[in-house]
Parts: sequence; C-alpha cells; structure tokens
Amino acid sequence: MEKSKWPPGDLVIWIFIMAELLVFGIFFAAYAFTRANHVELFNTYQATLDRNAALINTLALITSSYFVVRAVAAIKMDDSRKCFQWLLAALFMGLVFLLVKGIEYQHHFSQGISLSTNTFYMFYLSMTFFHFLHVILGMVILIAVALKARAGGYSARQHDGVETGASYWHMVDLVWMVLFPLVYVMN
Amino acid sequence: MKYQSQKVAKLYFIAAIGLFVGQILFGLIMGMQYVVGDFLFPEIPFNVARMVHTNLLIVWLLFGFMGASYYLVPEEAETELFAPWLAHLMFWVFLAAGAATILAYLLVPYAALAELTMNDLLPTMGREFLEQPTITKIGIVIVVLAFLFNIGMTILKGRKTVVNLVLLMGLTGLAVFFLFAFYNPTNLVMDKYYWWWVVHLWVEGVWELILGSILAFILIKTTGVDREVIEKWLYIIIAMTLITGIVGMGHHYYWIGAPEFWQWWGSIFSALEPIPFFMMTVYAFNMVNKRRRNHPNKAAVLWALGTAVMAFLGAGVWGFLHTLAPVNYYTHGTQITAAHGHMAFYGAYVMIVLGMISYSMPLMRGRELCNSARSQSLEMWSFWLMTISMVFITLFLTAAGILQVYLQRFSDNPMDFMVVQDKIALFYWLREITGVIFLIGLIVYIASFFIGQDEPEATVEPLK
Amino acid sequence: MAIKDKYLIRPCTWIFLLLMGLTVVTWFIGVNQFSGLQISLMALGIALLKGQLIGDYFMGLRQVSGFWRWAVAIWLLLIGSLIGYAFYMSAQS
Repeated sequence: MEKSKWPPGDLVIWIFIMAELLVFGIFFAAYAFTRANHVELFNTYQATLDRNAALINTLALITSSYFVVRAVAAIKMDDSRKCFQWLLAALFMGLVFLLVKGIEYQHHFSQGISLSTNTFYMFYLSMTFFHFLHVILGMVILIAVALKARAGGYSARQHDGVETGASYWHMVDLVWMVLFPLVYVMN
Repeated sequence: MKYQSQKVAKLYFIAAIGLFVGQILFGLIMGMQYVVGDFLFPEIPFNVARMVHTNLLIVWLLFGFMGASYYLVPEEAETELFAPWLAHLMFWVFLAAGAATILAYLLVPYAALAELTMNDLLPTMGREFLEQPTITKIGIVIVVLAFLFNIGMTILKGRKTVVNLVLLMGLTGLAVFFLFAFYNPTNLVMDKYYWWWVVHLWVEGVWELILGSILAFILIKTTGVDREVIEKWLYIIIAMTLITGIVGMGHHYYWIGAPEFWQWWGSIFSALEPIPFFMMTVYAFNMVNKRRRNHPNKAAVLWALGTAVMAFLGAGVWGFLHTLAPVNYYTHGTQITAAHGHMAFYGAYVMIVLGMISYSMPLMRGRELCNSARSQSLEMWSFWLMTISMVFITLFLTAAGILQVYLQRFSDNPMDFMVVQDKIALFYWLREITGVIFLIGLIVYIASFFIGQDEPEATVEPLK
Repeated sequence: MAIKDKYLIRPCTWIFLLLMGLTVVTWFIGVNQFSGLQISLMALGIALLKGQLIGDYFMGLRQVSGFWRWAVAIWLLLIGSLIGYAFYMSAQS
C-alpha cells in the first residue's frame, strides 16, 4: 500500500493530539514519581478502586474506537448511512464509559472523598476527570461528524472530517490504555 | 476600509496611544523612585505612580481592544456597525471617566478619594489593579456592556465568521470576569482567590482569544491565505488556551491558603500555557511564508510576527521560568514576576494593539493600502527600539530578580528586603536607562503618524 | 474481500480482539492484587503494546512515513521509560 507523508485527517488535529498527549504524559510521570515517595499510601488507596468498572470502561473505549474505524472504512466505500450508524454505535459506547465512570465517582463522593483527601485521590480524581472531559469533548466532535455524515456531507473522495474526528477519538482511547494499568493495576 | 462606521476605531486608537504615553512616563518616574527613593516626593508617591502605571496600561489596552473590535467586526460581518453613535458616546464616557480617575489618583489622597466616592456603600477599592473608585467601576461596566451590545448586534445582523465569534467570546469573558471586581469576601483567602479572576483570567484566558482573533484578522488581510486554514489554527489555539489557561491560573493559588491540590494543578497546567503561544508563533510565520500576496504594509506584518514571537517569549518562556510550585516558592513576588509581567504585556497585548493600529490607521486616514515608505520605515524603527529595549528591561529585571531571590531568600545568611534592594540597584539603573530608550521608541512611533504623510504610498513587487 | 482488505477492516478486527484480550489480562492482574516490580512492568508493557497497536492500526500510522509514523511510538517510549524508571526506583528503596 502507498505510504502517505501525513497522518489521516487534518494535520491541525494531530498537532492538537500531540499537545494533549504531552499534557497526559506530564500527568502520568508526575503520578509515577510522586508515588515513588508514597508507595504505601498509593498501594493502600489504589486497592479501594473498582477494577471491574475499569475493565468495562476499557473494553467500552476499545470497542468504541473499533466502531470508529468501521465508520471511516464505510465512508471510504461511499456509504454515508453505514458511516453514520457506526458512529452512533461508537457514541453509545462512549456513553457507557461516561455512565460507568459516573457511578464510580458517585461512589467516591458518597464516601466524602475529594481532591484534598490525600495525594493518591488527588491524582486519581484529577487524571480520570481530565480524561472524562476528553471523552465528552471527543463525543461532541463525533456527534458533529455523525450529523454531517447523515446529511451526506462526506463522500469516498472527501472525508477529511471523519478521519479528523476519528483520530481524536483514538487518542482518547490511547491515553486510557496507559491510564488504566497505571492507576488501577500497577503496584 | 469597507464600511463608514469602522472609522470610529480611530478615536479609540488615538486615545489608546495618548494613554500609552502616560503609562510610560509614570513607568519612568517609578523606575527612578526605585533608585532615588524620594524622587518627586511628596507630589507623586511610589504607590500612586505604580497605580497610575498599571491602571493606564489596562485602560489603554481596553481602548485598543475596543478600537480593534469596532474596526474588525463590521468588516468581518460585512455590515455597518449596529450603532455608531453609541460607540462615539461611550468613547467620551470612558475617556472622561478614565481621565477623572487618574487625576483623582494624582490630586487627592487615596483614602480621601475613597471617602469622596462613598466607597463604604459598596467597598471595592484598595486591591491591586482594581484601585478605581466604585463609581468608576460601575462606569466601566456600563461602557463595556454598551460596547458588547453594539458589537454583538453587529455580528448578529451580519456574516458570522470564526474570527468574529472568537473575538466576541473573548470580549464576553472580559466583561464577565470584570464583575468579580465587585466581589469582596471578608475571608482574606476567598478575597485573594477571586481577585485573581479579574486581571489574571483575562491575560491567561480570554484576552488570548482576543489576541488570537485580531492576529488572525491581520494575517488574513495581509497574507491572502485561505480563511479556512487560519480558522483551523485559531480553533486549536483557543482550545489549548482554555485548557491550559483556566486551570493553569491555579499557579496563583500556591501560597494564599487554597487547597494543596492547586500546587499540582497549577504547576502542571500552567507549565503547558506556553503551548498555545508557541502554536501562535509557528502559525504566524507559516501563514506569512505561505502568503498569496506581498502586502505593501510591511510594518503591520512586522508587528504581527513580532507579537507572535514576543508573546511566546514573554508570556510563555518567562512565565514558565517561575510557574512550577517548587520554583515559585522562592521567586513569588520578586523582580522575576516584574520581568515576566513587562515582557508578557508588551509582547502579547501591546504589540497586537499596535499591530492592529498599524494595519487599520492608514486606511482610516484615507490611504488605499498603507503608509508611505518613509512613515513605515520610521514605524519599523520604533518597533525595533521598543522591542529591543523591552527585551533588555526584561533581562535586567530578571538579573535583579535572580540576585534578589538568592540574597533575600536562598543564601545561608538571608538579608533584609531593603538591604537587598540597595545591592541590586545597578540593575535598576540599567532598567531605567533602557526605559528611556523605550520612550524614544514611542516618540518615533508617534512621529511616524506625521512624517511622510504627504508622500505617496509604498509599493511592493507582486509575488512571483 | 478485496475491497474490505483495501480499507483494512480484517486486520483491524483482529487487532480489536487482541486489544480486548490484553485488557482482560491486565484486569486479571489487577483484580487478583498481583503486585511487585515484574508484574507492574508487565502491565506497563502490555499498555505500551496496546497503545502502539492503536496508533498503528486504528489511527492508521502504519500507512504513514516520516515523523508522524513514529509520533505515537515516541510518546509511548517516553512515558513508558519515565513510569518504568519511577516504579523501578521505588522498588529499590
């Protein structure tokens, strides 16, 4: 297959993706190095997290990403309707993520846990909530793309917008792949 | 200039430049007081000079933003201004209120001014940058609301471009955050907490949207690059600005008694605040390189590129220097802050206003595209004089700051504040001399509006 | 079939299933409270592999040449070494 010099979608979104990855990267490193000074504390409170919820959420994001891949393939075959449907399915999985994460937060807050409880929760809440906001932003982008796809705004020849939204959504997925083991599993 | 009503911007720009001169004069007075403590005492005490210096800066930048908006919005919306008479009226209200307030600072003791303006009815005075009497603050709210209404209605009835919408977003944020000037909780932590929302959420948040949209307008006009390309950049720049700027503002919360997590949030997010500024630099140079035409107004292009670079250096790099909590623990409130403040305000906001003036003023004064080659060359001289002296002011203040941090807070035998001030006096002298060069640059700038006006417009070779 | 291959649906489906499987492995480590440096580094390694697969297949960077081909890989390598080093360091003390 012919190799392209540029990644799929608008180059500007890729610059944005790199900036976002930098933000998350700094958060991850800060978490890891702070943990090194408070190993006991981090291990203790990490044990209170709900790993089953995290599993569901990880699977939801991967599935969602896969659906977006199918949506891009559909529009490349000039099938706007299929593209729209795959995007809808992806959005549904995004909703599942928000719901499960929301229940987790609900549980923490009902126990009176906040950013000031301890350093572990400060990181856990900050990082996951920052990611949570990215899921919302990604969904807003996907909704915009889906609506345009339904209106027939994309075609096999012109579908930059779909690829742009898809790239951003994969980034949200990518970040969670590291966030999940780092915060929920590694100790 | 396509619409008659754009011309109202001229008034605003003239006032802005006038107040700019005042700001620099008081800066020089204050700079002198750093080294000759009783200079002009008791007529102009240091605290009054400082108040006038900072207040004039903010007020003239507001005049500049308003002028820029009145020029830019009708052209983008492709319609006349909604109510030109309102823009005229508000200009005189704002100017009169501003002048009266500055005169009152100079003529009446501050406490007497508070009493005179019945501050105790709704106490808002006495906080840094927000020293204005309550009645002036109410006046500012009225002027800004009338301005927003005028601009908003113009956008509503005309073409809705990304540039206009981003600008409107920035201006609305400006108005909303100013309202916190009226909120004075008695709890000192809360009081400080919301104080940062006024000027600092401006400069680290919504003003960057204003900067971005004005810069986009100048680039669209002078480079002929497709609007779509420039708009895309504008989108990610404002997204990055809002993500990093609003939370990054937490770097002011380290030591005021706010919860500890702000040390993390503030450090991480504010460390990334240079990113949108860096993107702006890359994009400005990219657009100029990809230009479809050579615009004869070289001075305006120079200001546009200059603001992109200097904003990144002043706001981005110099901000980063002391933004991490462990560093800020030592540098908080030293001359490092002053160094950053000077270059950031000049690079991001002074230069963009001057750039907009540079682009639009010749057109409002009846030129087709630009000033004569002679005026432009003078203007470019003033660009370099002011910009280079600002770089040196920043470097001298940074050197003073590093020494101050070391002698006063870091060394094994820390010294008193005033003893340290004496020891770093050399840098204050150097700063004052550079300040005089800045003033000369400003005089050259003003001269460029008069010299070479009777000569024909500059021309350029068309792009091959 | 030929058309499907052109848009890489088949390989992406396999990658999707692989990602799901790897996620279950990580979850299994977590839910059983397995701990220690080796286990942590393994979970980290799985995460980096998953990230690389997402970059290569879902984001389509395998079809790109030059800087962008490696953009995600470089990021993963960077954070991977930082996180790995921090965990290694804390296990030593």
